[in-house]
Amino acid sequence: MATIGLTSCKKIIQIDTNNAEPQLVIEGKISDRLVEQQILISKTVGYDEKGVYPKVSGATVKVSDNSGKIYVFAEKSPGIYVNRMRGVSGITYKMEVTVEGKNYQASSKMPNHVKLDSIGVITNNFFGNERKTAAAFLVDPANENNFYRFNLYVNGLFSDRIYVNNDRLTNGNNLRIQLYYEANDDDDEGLKSGDNISVEMEGIDSNIFNYWYALSEQSGGGPNQGTTPSNPTSNISNGALGYFSAHTFQRLSTTVK
Amino acid sequence: MSIKFYLPILLLLLCSFSVSAQNKFTLSGTIRDASSGETLIGATVKISGPANAGTLTNNYGYFALTQTEGTYTVTISYTGFVPITKSINLNKDTKLNEELKSTNDLAEVTVNANNRKNENVKSAQMGLERIDMKSLNSIPVLLGEKDVLKTIQLLPGVKSGGEGNTGFYVRGGAADQNLIILDEAVVYNSSHLLGFFSTFNADAIKDVSLYKGGMPAQYGGRLSSVLDVKMDDGNNKEFKFQGGIGLIASRLKAEGPIVKDKGSFMVSFRRTYIDLFLRASPDSSINGSTLNFYDINAKANYKINDKNTIYISGYFGKDNIGVKDLFENNWGNVTTTVRLNHIFNDRLFSNTSLIYNNYNYTVRLLNDVTNFKATSLVRDFNFKEDFQYFSNQHTLRFGLNATHHRISPIDITTTSEESQVNPLAQEKRYGLESAAYVSDEWAVNDKLNFLYGVRVAAFSLLGPGNFSEYDADGNIDQTDQVSSGKFYKNYLNLEPRFSVSYLFNERNSIKASYNRNTQNIHILTNATSSSPTDQYVLSSNNIKPEIADQVALGYFKNLDENNYELSGEVYYKWMQNQIDYKNAAQLLANSNVESELLYGTGRAYGLELFFKKKFGKLNGWVGYTLSRTERKFAQLNNGNYFPARQDRTHDVSVVGIYNLNQRWTFSSSFIYSTGNAVTFPAGKYIVGGQTVYYYTERNAGRMPYNMRLDLSATLEGKRKGRFQSSWNFGVYNALNRKNPYSIEFINDPNEPGRTAAEQTSLFGIIPSVTWNFKF
Repeated sequence: MATIGLTSCKKIIQIDTNNAEPQLVIEGKISDRLVEQQILISKTVGYDEKGVYPKVSGATVKVSDNSGKIYVFAEKSPGIYVNRMRGVSGITYKMEVTVEGKNYQASSKMPNHVKLDSIGVITNNFFGNERKTAAAFLVDPANENNFYRFNLYVNGLFSDRIYVNNDRLTNGNNLRIQLYYEANDDDDEGLKSGDNISVEMEGIDSNIFNYWYALSEQSGGGPNQGTTPSNPTSNISNGALGYFSAHTFQRLSTTVK
Repeated sequence: MSIKFYLPILLLLLCSFSVSAQNKFTLSGTIRDASSGETLIGATVKISGPANAGTLTNNYGYFALTQTEGTYTVTISYTGFVPITKSINLNKDTKLNEELKSTNDLAEVTVNANNRKNENVKSAQMGLERIDMKSLNSIPVLLGEKDVLKTIQLLPGVKSGGEGNTGFYVRGGAADQNLIILDEAVVYNSSHLLGFFSTFNADAIKDVSLYKGGMPAQYGGRLSSVLDVKMDDGNNKEFKFQGGIGLIASRLKAEGPIVKDKGSFMVSFRRTYIDLFLRASPDSSINGSTLNFYDINAKANYKINDKNTIYISGYFGKDNIGVKDLFENNWGNVTTTVRLNHIFNDRLFSNTSLIYNNYNYTVRLLNDVTNFKATSLVRDFNFKEDFQYFSNQHTLRFGLNATHHRISPIDITTTSEESQVNPLAQEKRYGLESAAYVSDEWAVNDKLNFLYGVRVAAFSLLGPGNFSEYDADGNIDQTDQVSSGKFYKNYLNLEPRFSVSYLFNERNSIKASYNRNTQNIHILTNATSSSPTDQYVLSSNNIKPEIADQVALGYFKNLDENNYELSGEVYYKWMQNQIDYKNAAQLLANSNVESELLYGTGRAYGLELFFKKKFGKLNGWVGYTLSRTERKFAQLNNGNYFPARQDRTHDVSVVGIYNLNQRWTFSSSFIYSTGNAVTFPAGKYIVGGQTVYYYTERNAGRMPYNMRLDLSATLEGKRKGRFQSSWNFGVYNALNRKNPYSIEFINDPNEPGRTAAEQTSLFGIIPSVTWNFKF
């Protein structure tokens, strides 16, 4: 494989694809913190267009829970709809968005709270190089199926990688979940001493896990990198892209030694 | 399908045997290579006199011809050998065992035009490609490792999985729809080193036949193709050694008589030594890495008496890949075949086989907390009984076959206290595949030949096990607990096979065929390339047997006294119960893996043109395929047909071999093919801070085309006594073209905010040298 490594090479090529008509994208999140919960509505752009995503204004956005309580989300700035509230574990939230004459619905049940015990930095030997990796520590509850999503920030910058886990093979154990990190440069060494890292952990429901897992399986977004790419299954009705997630939320920070 | 459909076939079968046998006698025997005593498969035996007839020797070199009493001229011929002509007075059943001399052993032999066979024109068999092991040895390949699988991918209708992919695709079928057998034992994983080499060490191989369509009824179990590989029996006259030393692998083969002219053995060994280079590295983690494979082929045979010959053969292979402190992965096949040839009488030949084969892999992760070992196994026991009955115009084959499968999908154990992975033993699955077949090759007259038959294929999913049914969302509806030995689910399929050829004259014919094939063992993988850890599943209450119906029509023409072969075949194939996957399917270590599957149909059609020059200083072939292969699933692509990944519109291969003189042979192969059908994004959006791509039509995009020119030169050394050596020099990808392996979508480095497609290629130009010897 040494030969393969030496001779493999990369280049930018032109591909032949059609630009799709703009599609509606809804990303709704309800967490268990008392904050301004956000529901973002935007549109897709064509493959070869600049990544400036049109915001969608003028939507009617509300969330209700299974006790009949209704939270109306107001448009704070274009495409960003907010309501200051706190989600509660065990409650199923229903989102309803009406925009451009169409109605979109989704529901998500907020899972039970699982404590993010701590975060740390693990040193691995990776092909002869010492490599520092952020890790989250938690105890997975044995009596239920759990799904987690992590966000990693290094020096305040969001790591553009999908970290999702389920406990299918690790149920009930002390977990150390490693969040592999690559900076956006070629001579990357991972985390360095003095880097400030923050880890967010979301306890998500199974639909949201499937959504992110499907995306992570096709990571790289290209052929031969994973599964045949397709749009992840959304829990929103009527063909909207995106998802609506009610999840628990915790955030911890540390400095790499 | 009703019995009405099969009635004509049965009638045909019955009627055609009601021929009386007055004053008829049988000429039978075994044809061998004079230098090694190896039986010759597919040698032509022709008789002329009061009547004209001809036949081919079977897989064990045996033939039988029945004709009216009289004096006949018998001609026995085989490509690359000097034909024998004899006069025989057929006034009783007569034995004719002959040995042919190889043209290689003679200084100068002009190949007589009479010796050039037109079997490709004449036989009713369609879609069959036989690989000549001699030309295989001179076709250029990666790093000089001559390779059966890479060579068949140069034939029309056979598509390579591409660099770094194990699979090959025949007439639109999937990679797991090829029946790959080595001395009748199924080889589940036919690749080494993630597809760069095949498990078939060419030193140990005697004969390779690939059926792309018109599979005879004795083969069954896979939809697309049959690759029937037979090992050398070993020289029964003298001890011989041969081997080779190459850049990445070395080979050694020994063969010789056990008892002269009665029995022989053959042992062949091959091992790579890339990891020896790795070990030389000063870097501690690289020199602790493993990367190797080995394989051993062994075979012995003994002729107990004129009526009975016993054969034992085996294959053992293993790949090891590992990175110190990170992971270890190994996989391999084991096959063992014990066969008894028995000649009941001159006309009835039988073969009984007992076969064991398994495929297994192990993955170990060595990280402290994600520490585990996962093993998986597919194991078959197979009993086969095949008969061949030779009458004057018919060769009748019939037989039985029973295979017991055991699949251990995955067994996870942990080896450290801190491991956060739970041990898991996924339920084993047991299945019984049984089949009975009858087929007849009928030479109606000089112009018309039939090859027709039927295979009855039964499959039973056996207990013990818990078998679940699922709703549309993949939730368990109900689970049946089945005890050991119980037949839980049974399927019965009738597979008619029918081929006909009509000769306009000795040089022109048309052929047509129809065949149905079914398949009860399936690979599950939602990755776009195959890997050693792909999972096997049996047909079940959820997974129905895959079914393919294929029709083909062909025109065959030979020119210049059979020096040139020209053929064109068109085919159309319908496939049922094809498998695809839901979004976010988790296939490994999932007891409810069958809840992740989607079922659909497929169709494939195409035109294959083949032009081959067989003799002379320059020989080789040009193949062209125009084809389409599509799949349809209610849940994918809005329920519309979409191209399968291996759909390639154009596929061209050119192989040229030039024998300059006794010492130098030059060869080259050139391939061009349309890129794979892949799904490209049509839009993009942002969720969760990530750029996510939006897809519309499945597999509507195309990878860039593939093109590659490989060159090779062989220099034969001067013969010193028994010792003979040769050098092989090769250049892989001589044009240094960057063929696409994968495409990744990234932020355009030149224009932030825009998306760029970044292509990865594996191989540039790679030279190789190999030294081969024999004595």
